[in-house]
Amino acid sequence: MEAMVPEEEVETRRVQVRFTTKLKAPLKAPTTSIAIPSNLTRLGLSSVVNNLLKAGKSDWEPQPFDFLIDGELVRMSLEQFLLAKGISAERVLEIEYIKAVAPRKHEEPSLHDDWVSAVSGSNPGFVLTGCYDGFGRVWKGRSCTHILEGHGDAITSISTINKKGAESTHVATASKDRTVRLWKFDAEEPMNKVRAFKILRGHSSSVQSVAPQPSGEMVCSGSWDSTINLWRTNESDTDGDLVSVKKRKVNSQAEESQLEGEAVSSLVGHTQCVSSVVWPEERTIYSASWDHSIKSWDVETGRDVLSLFCGKALNGLDVGGDSSALIAAGGSDPVLRIWDPRKSGSSAPVFQFASHSSWITACKWHDSSRQHLLSSSYDGKVMLWDLRTAWPLSVIESHKDKVLCADWWRGDSVVSGGADSNLCISSEVSIL
Amino acid sequence: MGFFNHQNLMKIHYQKKRNSDKKKNKVSMKSVGDDIIPAVEESDSSEDEVAPRNTIGNAPLNFYTDEEHIGYDISGKKIKKQARKDMLEAFLARSDYPWNTIYDEYNDEEVEIPKEWRKLIRRYLKGKTPHADVDPYPEYVDWVKHDAKHPLSNAPDPKRRFIPSKSEHKEVLRLVTGIRKGHIKFEPPKEEKRVYDLWGEDSSSTDKARHGLRYIPPPKMKLPGHEESYNPSLEYIPTQEEIDSYELMYEEDRPKFIPRRYDSLRKVPAYDKYLLESFDRCLDLVLRPRVGKKRINIDPESLKPKLPSHNDAVTTISVHVSGQWLASGSKDGTVRIWEVETGRCIKMWDVGEAVSCVAWNPVPECLILAISAGQDVLVLNTGLGSAEEQQRVSELLNIGAPSETDNADKSTSIMSWLQHDKHEGIWLKHIKTVTSVVWHRKGDYFSIVMPNGDSRAVLVHQLSKKFTQRIPFKLHGHPVSSVFHPSRRILFIATKKCVRVYDLSKGKLIKKLEPGVREISSIAIHPAGDNIIVGSREGKVCWFDMDLSSQPFKKLRCHPKDITNVAFHRSYPLFAASSEDGTAYVLHGMVYSDLNKNPLIVPLEILRGHTTTDGRGVIDCTFHPRQPWLFTAGSDSVIKLYCH
Repeated sequence: MEAMVPEEEVETRRVQVRFTTKLKAPLKAPTTSIAIPSNLTRLGLSSVVNNLLKAGKSDWEPQPFDFLIDGELVRMSLEQFLLAKGISAERVLEIEYIKAVAPRKHEEPSLHDDWVSAVSGSNPGFVLTGCYDGFGRVWKGRSCTHILEGHGDAITSISTINKKGAESTHVATASKDRTVRLWKFDAEEPMNKVRAFKILRGHSSSVQSVAPQPSGEMVCSGSWDSTINLWRTNESDTDGDLVSVKKRKVNSQAEESQLEGEAVSSLVGHTQCVSSVVWPEERTIYSASWDHSIKSWDVETGRDVLSLFCGKALNGLDVGGDSSALIAAGGSDPVLRIWDPRKSGSSAPVFQFASHSSWITACKWHDSSRQHLLSSSYDGKVMLWDLRTAWPLSVIESHKDKVLCADWWRGDSVVSGGADSNLCISSEVSIL
Repeated sequence: MGFFNHQNLMKIHYQKKRNSDKKKNKVSMKSVGDDIIPAVEESDSSEDEVAPRNTIGNAPLNFYTDEEHIGYDISGKKIKKQARKDMLEAFLARSDYPWNTIYDEYNDEEVEIPKEWRKLIRRYLKGKTPHADVDPYPEYVDWVKHDAKHPLSNAPDPKRRFIPSKSEHKEVLRLVTGIRKGHIKFEPPKEEKRVYDLWGEDSSSTDKARHGLRYIPPPKMKLPGHEESYNPSLEYIPTQEEIDSYELMYEEDRPKFIPRRYDSLRKVPAYDKYLLESFDRCLDLVLRPRVGKKRINIDPESLKPKLPSHNDAVTTISVHVSGQWLASGSKDGTVRIWEVETGRCIKMWDVGEAVSCVAWNPVPECLILAISAGQDVLVLNTGLGSAEEQQRVSELLNIGAPSETDNADKSTSIMSWLQHDKHEGIWLKHIKTVTSVVWHRKGDYFSIVMPNGDSRAVLVHQLSKKFTQRIPFKLHGHPVSSVFHPSRRILFIATKKCVRVYDLSKGKLIKKLEPGVREISSIAIHPAGDNIIVGSREGKVCWFDMDLSSQPFKKLRCHPKDITNVAFHRSYPLFAASSEDGTAYVLHGMVYSDLNKNPLIVPLEILRGHTTTDGRGVIDCTFHPRQPWLFTAGSDSVIKLYCH
């Protein structure tokens, strides 16, 4: 141990630590307690662990780690951390290390014709993007395999519908042309252009966000007309065909297989633009709006169960985290706020992350991790957050202009689209 | 014995003091005979300190009371106590010659007191002054002459010293009137004979100054410093990096001299530019013109491709009622629609002339934009709504041939309704420059202001009937802006001096508001309709309460320069004023429904961020209809959004 401590630091205080981890075998360091200088920072601790691992395996390649003491990430020197938390330096300190959460690879951005306004990484096979030119695109690697064609104005939101037993992929898009369209394509097929199989009309202003029900039976959409509409996604003409017959006469020569749908029900309660909706459970829809509120709706009754007031117009919302109950939202200020609706008595956010310098456009929880989420902002940055520290884990600055949307992809990549018309993929973010 | 002076006395005192202070009290005085004189003589013999006979130092004398000796002399031998005189003898000696001797207990000897000292002691004992020469009661000398008069007086200054003299004032008046009327004439200044000073200095400043030229001496050449030395100290020698950086500079900017070190003067090389410089001087001699340096100054920013943004000052902005879109008009003749959420430019029209005003139709379904540019007013279909809405709008904006002829007889001279050929919408041609377009809340009527239109300066157009009517009232002064009452049929017209309030249904003037400012520049009405703010060119904002008087309820002096626009928020108790000084003020203006309560006005924030170009700062400001956000348009061709 002495060998790797620089000469001048020998004088400083030392603490007895033991490194533990939940990582698998090649990353497991011996758990014997060792004395290390107390002024080591994250980098120093990382090099200590790397040296320990190298001692066990000679061809070890160093990699960054993050360190947890009592469930909190160390973001300063060890000494300062112990002082700040009031932890005694006398006993043997248990430090858990995890792989540092930061993208190790930035892939070449995929250029679009216009601003990329929506991105979805819910399917591990491909990335879906929506663009201001009105086309939805399916990206596999760096090549665009499918183009979803039909919207008359910019796409604002895109998401995959997970239908049980369906062979082809179902996708829902929302657009500024006041429609929500449902698409169906086979991802394996090298077909290029796709037309919507169902057009959902009913909003009187541009649709800002679309979210599918977990079972895939329905989708909900939030719009500038301050309503949330629920739609069925089935392909049969059993309901609403009376409406479609009339329309079909008009554009029968264009596309005969296109269905039209009407809203099953409408959730009214917001007073301004509903900017973001999520549907995490069968019965519950969460929505964020420019009227400064977040509402949770009971789908069966159509009533709002919960209202949180934020004080700022909200742009992005996601539900996840600890037992999928935390609500993260960001809007017209640089602060990403996280609420815990289970906490009764106060509607104050439980976490506030304020490292951005402009409006936040989107925030997304990681699918499998309870702590990690990302946020994108008009300052051109995508930040990865961990609930255990108030600093961003890493900042992705691959965009040259506003970032309009961001999502996780395959659990270890971050996909983001922005006003520089690029889809950026930052991969190998090792979470867990 | 001849001279006993003070020094001797001090010496004896000194010897006494040698014993500690306590001992001093114990020194008993004895008057004895003349037998101990030699000891005194001994101490008298020299100026120096005479060591005492006894050498016991500070040891208490009572140590020796029972001994035969009193101490030891300088050679260490015991000093025997002297035989005591018997009491009778001592008493006799004391009574016969009091204060002749004093007994020194330390040295065990009688010390004789000199005669002068005895005199002094006796005088002390009698309570007289020690010296006989001192006269305790001298004659009093009166130094002050009592018969002479004293020059100073304690009397306070008279009042006339503090007030201006009347006689002097009269005299000055007389002189002034005399000069004005020409009675008193001044002698013209004598003209000095101009003599050319043959032997004067060539560059005499007086001569040059007369011709408006002044001799400016050339700057002195800098004296050579340490760095010009052939062997300067190390700190003057540039590092290799610095020398490399010189290479990157332009030829002209490079330092002419780079210090170098030579360890001896003999190694200094010849001046390498000798030939070149002599050649240049030869060229100077033949008056070769010096070539000015030509450097291409390209701003790297200018090479970037143009983003969709205004190229000139943004003069006007308007937010749609839904808060989704922002329309802006610029001096470069373009009107753009922006998405508030993302800041994306959705639509752009080129109207060819500097845009003076844009206004959205206040009806949310009616996505119509009114634009005034030069003498034209365009009412355009923005094409943002759904198909049905667009259908309705385009029907509304369609002008049939007959409607034009209907109006022809009435108002062809001031304006005409035409279908715009390039953009989808109506084109209203006026005869004078239109500065302001304001919609009525129902979105059917809109009023325009032509400051130079004389009797037809303010017109109200009706969109559904394509009908124009002029305001049947006489305006006194140039109108600046107009605004409709939010709920009643009242029109406010601001002229440069005052605000006139007309009831349109009854057709008469209701009120005249007098802000008392130099020139009104803008007017805004509170959404409840009972309060009005007026911005003036001198930087004042006047708040009028319609229920109170025609005088401003409050005058706020906030900007140092002209106020360009004032605005009320539709739902929040906020109002704002933008100014040419590049700032916008946001103020809290709470209006209570209780009529007895006065509005509460609190300044909140100064918003900076715009740069002033051509003396113009923020030209327009508008609140977002639903959020506490303020949009400002600047002369730096930027629209900014300030969020709460």
